[in-house]
Amino acid sequence: MIRAILGCAASPMNQDIDLELLMAQYQRGDFTAATVLIRQLSPQLSRFFGVQLASREEADDLLQETWLRIHKVRHTYRPGEPVLPWFYAIARHIRVDHYRKVRRRMSREEQLEDMTEIERVLPLKLGEGLDLESLLAPLPESQREVIAMLKVDGMSLEEVARATSSSVGSVKQKAHRAYTKLREHLAAVTSRRTGGPS
Amino acid sequence: MKDRQIDELLKHASEAPPRAVNPETLDRVSQSIENTLRPVRPLPPTWVLSLGLIAISAGIASAGAARLGFNGIHKMNVLERSLIFPALGILVWLTATAFATEMIPGSRRRVASGTMLIVSSLALFAIFAVLFRDYRTDHFLSQGIVCLVTGLLHAIPTALASWLLLRRGFAVNPVTSGLSAGTLGGLAGVTVLELHCPNFQALHILVWHIAVPLVSAALGAWLTWASVRWSGQRR
Repeated sequence: MIRAILGCAASPMNQDIDLELLMAQYQRGDFTAATVLIRQLSPQLSRFFGVQLASREEADDLLQETWLRIHKVRHTYRPGEPVLPWFYAIARHIRVDHYRKVRRRMSREEQLEDMTEIERVLPLKLGEGLDLESLLAPLPESQREVIAMLKVDGMSLEEVARATSSSVGSVKQKAHRAYTKLREHLAAVTSRRTGGPS
Repeated sequence: MKDRQIDELLKHASEAPPRAVNPETLDRVSQSIENTLRPVRPLPPTWVLSLGLIAISAGIASAGAARLGFNGIHKMNVLERSLIFPALGILVWLTATAFATEMIPGSRRRVASGTMLIVSSLALFAIFAVLFRDYRTDHFLSQGIVCLVTGLLHAIPTALASWLLLRRGFAVNPVTSGLSAGTLGGLAGVTVLELHCPNFQALHILVWHIAVPLVSAALGAWLTWASVRWSGQRR
């Protein structure tokens, strides 16, 4: 059965359906289904945390914490409902929780230093070869997560709205603002590189 | 730069393989899951949970009014009864659905908790303003405080019982869940007041009765915020 599911999971068209099946089996206590889910979704979730500017160690910690929370609240998934928004809603909760804790610990000065660091790194990375984290770095957190889910993980507007506990309209608005900001930022980077007016 | 070009940049960047997850992390996760893996019963559908919440609100409101006396509803005319109680019923139903949805990760939200509180308060304000035209302010403060306390004394058990009903859920936004629980409790409190309170002075109802869901929602949000903060500091 699991082999059949894994075979189907290769097709992105069926990915969500298969994850739903795996989730239902996980709820019934099937360890193999749980393992398959962990292997299949972890890279995606890790990238989600990475896009939010988490370090590799942090992303690993957040991933581990997310899976433990998923395990604890696995009964809150209702069969037949889209599964990705459920996973991302929990991952997002863990990230926000982590962010709050870090913010409490960090002084305001340290935060400002970090922000300057991001701004400095971005143009250099763009010049050398594109990576997602740098590309999305200038965006505020709420816009970054929306773009990551929509454009990187290929979720629909409705799924992103469910994962972020917001409306489809609000997701559209955030995506629009993110594109405007990215357009401005990329134009500034390009003009700096070509020696044009900054 | 056009949207299409940004799309291409994002597509190009996301095509790069995601950074490898540490296999040890995955093994650790699998191991800890294996030790505690048991079959679980999924949560019932949202409408079942909403019905439960409505039953709690109606039960506590009716019991409270029965204990205090149905003086308010007896004094109302047909128009007042037919506008106030159906409106309260609809608001309780909408808030119960919003609260049940809050406790299920990744579920579709039709109305945000904050919006629900504003809509409830404005709807009640409009109905009360249209129906009650006695603008005297006799014993405004003393009677008002009695009503506010009575409303809150019914709002708190409603919110607590609702939270208990949804305890198997998982609040991804605890503060907004607290706000929803408080709003639901507050609406039950207002229902008690409409059934019981015979003071039909417009300002009394507009200020003190509507204050019940507002204070109750604020209390709910503050309590969950404080508990999240406290548990965060303890960890």
